[in-house]
Amino acid sequence: MSETQKTNKDVVQNDKKNINLKKSDLVKHWLLGYSSETAYNYERLQALGTTNAMVPIVRRLYKTKEEQAKELKKYMIFFNTEPSYIGTVIHGIAASMEEQRANGEQIDSDDINSVRTGLMGPMAGIGDTVSQGIVYPILAGICCSLALAGNVLGPILFEVVYKAIMLTMGYSFYMLGYRQGKNSILKLLQSGRLNKVTEIFSIIGLMVVGNMAATRVNVLTPIEFTVGKVRFNLQEVLDSLLPGMIPLATTLLILKLVGKKVNPTYIIALIFVVGILGSLLGILAPIE
Amino acid sequence: MPVFISAVLVALISTLSQWWVSHAITRTWLYPIWVGFLVALAMGEPIIGMQAAAYIQLTYLGWITAGGTMPGNLMAAGVFGTALTLLSGAEPELAPTFAVPFSLLGIFINQAYMTLNSFWVHKADKYLDNNNITGMRIMNYVPSGILSLVLYGIPAFILVYFGGGVAENLLNSLPESLIQALSVVGALMPALGIAILLNYLGNKKLVGFFILGFFMTIYLDLDIMAVTIFSAVIGVLIYVFSIDKEKTEGEA
Repeated sequence: MSETQKTNKDVVQNDKKNINLKKSDLVKHWLLGYSSETAYNYERLQALGTTNAMVPIVRRLYKTKEEQAKELKKYMIFFNTEPSYIGTVIHGIAASMEEQRANGEQIDSDDINSVRTGLMGPMAGIGDTVSQGIVYPILAGICCSLALAGNVLGPILFEVVYKAIMLTMGYSFYMLGYRQGKNSILKLLQSGRLNKVTEIFSIIGLMVVGNMAATRVNVLTPIEFTVGKVRFNLQEVLDSLLPGMIPLATTLLILKLVGKKVNPTYIIALIFVVGILGSLLGILAPIE
Repeated sequence: MPVFISAVLVALISTLSQWWVSHAITRTWLYPIWVGFLVALAMGEPIIGMQAAAYIQLTYLGWITAGGTMPGNLMAAGVFGTALTLLSGAEPELAPTFAVPFSLLGIFINQAYMTLNSFWVHKADKYLDNNNITGMRIMNYVPSGILSLVLYGIPAFILVYFGGGVAENLLNSLPESLIQALSVVGALMPALGIAILLNYLGNKKLVGFFILGFFMTIYLDLDIMAVTIFSAVIGVLIYVFSIDKEKTEGEA
């Protein structure tokens, strides 16, 4: 049955035109995808930007303005994914499906859109974890340390390395999507390999965050009093018990609030109150 | 640098921090460490401005923006926080406390931006109905840029061009004890960014690695690069062993 279907399709394909996308079309499509949040909006999020990116593809595949506009319209539906690192795989898949469709394969607009909307959630999940949960904080943490030491390489390194990782991953995933189609990404998701890699990066992220908690939460307690002739310095006592106790306790307390889904705005208000009162009452001081 | 030119440049940077023309360029303009540094360059104070930007960055380290919602406006925090720190002549440690009000106000600015941008999408629909592809493309790029100029650019210009004296007087009018108190707030603030990130990255199984990183730093006095390298080695080893284990289990 499937054999006959396949032959039928081949016949249709041979009857129809044979247009292939050029490498330059794919590169343009990938690059224009980075403008998918230029008119970012609540109603359809990346719909307009994604449509704009599709223009080089439909211009290659269809001759008339009418056909091109008709093919573009299907992209004007709600769409939102992680657009820079991994979500590009969806655009690659869309380009390959469009190419097959233009060459007479039985693929309609709904097929393309159901693949796209089906993948946008999972790809956003993985992509945001990689870009916002791993690359950005680790890199920003390292670069902040450099910048605070007065080294101009801090921000420059951030810009260069961030973009290098982003563009390399974005291009690779776009091409993966184009060459392998939707099956590749489903296989990747099912194998569990991706989860494992994410977990490894989480380990790196967590340890770096541990370093930042130890070095960047710079508060101590200046409490001091004398009992008889013995000078009593609370910070020294704390340091001999468990160094870094105040930064660790502060971080874990706030973590508890964040875990309870307390609005960050309230946490900021709390930090202001605690910081100002703590300083005025002589309980807390910044580490110089 | 003349104030007028600084103000125009900062306004431009501020506009592009929200009007993401192409993530290939503006993706990093979201983040205080980079956008604050650009502001610092435009205002002719690269080093102090860079440090102010880094302090602001630490506060917002773990702020994940997904689906267009953000718990605070990172861009406004980076641009306006850095600019105000430089204008007032305050120590860079105070930058996070200056950035916070802008970040909160910025939530509404961002909502206005993303709400109004919906209009251009409808315009683009109409252009496509009339087979006007160029019209659709213009809708993607141009109106949101003008909107961002109004919402982000002009306020930044006003702050830099007119705000200098006001900011300086404001800082000078603050009593020393309050400035000290605000620097305690600034020193506590990174704990929030770190906690949000921790909450995002850490499931219960992995939280031990945070503690490991913390005490490696405290007791061994390792810097962030050293911790990154050690953690990468640990991560790769765990990966390799878990793959091996999978294989042997598969064979058995």
